[in-house]
Amino acid sequence: MSNNLIKISFSLNGARVETEVTPQLTVLEMLRRNFRLTAAKEGCGKGECGACSIMLNDHPINSCLKLAATLKPEDRVISVEGFSEDKLMRNIQEAYVEEGAVQCGFCIPGMTMASYHLLKHNATPDEHAIKQALSGNICRCTGYRKIEAAVKKAAERTKANE
Amino acid sequence: MNNLQFIRPANVQAACEALKKPGFMAVAGGSDLVVKIRNGLYPDLEGLVDIGDLAPLNLIRTDENRVIIGSGCTMHQIISDRLMQDYFPTLVKAASTVGALQIRNSATIGGNVANASPAGDTIPALYSLEARVLITGCNGTRKLPIEEFFLSPGKTKLETGELIEGFSLLLRKTRGDFLKLGERRAHAISKINMAVSTWNDGRDHWRIAMGSVAPTVLRCQEAEELLEKAVSKDDDLLNQAAELACNTARPISDLRSTSTYRKKMAGVLLKRCLESLTK
Repeated sequence: MSNNLIKISFSLNGARVETEVTPQLTVLEMLRRNFRLTAAKEGCGKGECGACSIMLNDHPINSCLKLAATLKPEDRVISVEGFSEDKLMRNIQEAYVEEGAVQCGFCIPGMTMASYHLLKHNATPDEHAIKQALSGNICRCTGYRKIEAAVKKAAERTKANE
Repeated sequence: MNNLQFIRPANVQAACEALKKPGFMAVAGGSDLVVKIRNGLYPDLEGLVDIGDLAPLNLIRTDENRVIIGSGCTMHQIISDRLMQDYFPTLVKAASTVGALQIRNSATIGGNVANASPAGDTIPALYSLEARVLITGCNGTRKLPIEEFFLSPGKTKLETGELIEGFSLLLRKTRGDFLKLGERRAHAISKINMAVSTWNDGRDHWRIAMGSVAPTVLRCQEAEELLEKAVSKDDDLLNQAAELACNTARPISDLRSTSTYRKKMAGVLLKRCLESLTK
């Protein structure tokens, strides 16, 4: 192990946290090892599959490509766990279950993150907008149609509950 | 690699000092670099210098009659910037095709250029807009036309202790298009990409640049001249321009595509761009 530990401080799921990381530790590895937040997953490790998607300052990023040491005190990181009380995320998660969109489940934390970002910015997305919003997320069970149906359902339910 | 050092410089000068040390590299978004480090492409890497959050690298600003795009601006920043949309649509379109949403929120324009991939999507767009690369080092600054910046795939004129501060573009309204051909619409590395920008300052100017058809991006000056001289941009003329693009391209065959296909597609993409701009 390296002895070059770097102290970082940032906001994680709404709380201010401090931790120590090695230079090459990614945000994904940090979340899983230092904080035991295991929703975000490593699929490809190259930024292609989106299973590691998290929010950084309200924008989804691939946490497998962001070095934890580059996090700044003003950065706000939110993982799926941070949305557990969030109404929109609950609607999304429930719709995923109801539509049978979850098969092996590995891609789902990333999928729901991308869905959340879409519905935050577009309450009534059409099919094209949904496909585009999920284009950075890969499901190898190939359940895309059910996933798209779930996003549509979550959008309708969120709008109806307003 | 297990004993990498990590430096968080306070300003650009400190970053340049840190980059003088052998084996030190700059990191911003990390979307290219982290993958390469993991794949063992930098066996001599000693340390990383975090330039991701250094002002003024992450700003788009105007400076008299020029616009300076900081090297640390993300693709998302460029796509959502009003001035970029109004003045440099070619660059906005190119940035929109990089990776997928998650990548565009991390990847920086400086990284896309410094990485010097023949397939880098913002590079032909910057060629077509006659960008200058602003380089900062310990002994001051220098600038290079972007066409003189690249040596070969992965190699640029950036020297040890230097970093790209940004890109300087003449503040003028341009129209433009950018098309790329990949395996799928999201997340594809270009088999070939094409940037066309045009503006009028009393007469028409056309700039055409294409990527993935040579070790570095190529301009197609013959087609540019043809368009600038032509009175009417009819179908015949667009076909002639397309043929010139095919002749200029000198692609290789690799895992993404074949030389023959790429050469042919240079013409197809140019024609599509020109059709959208001359309608």
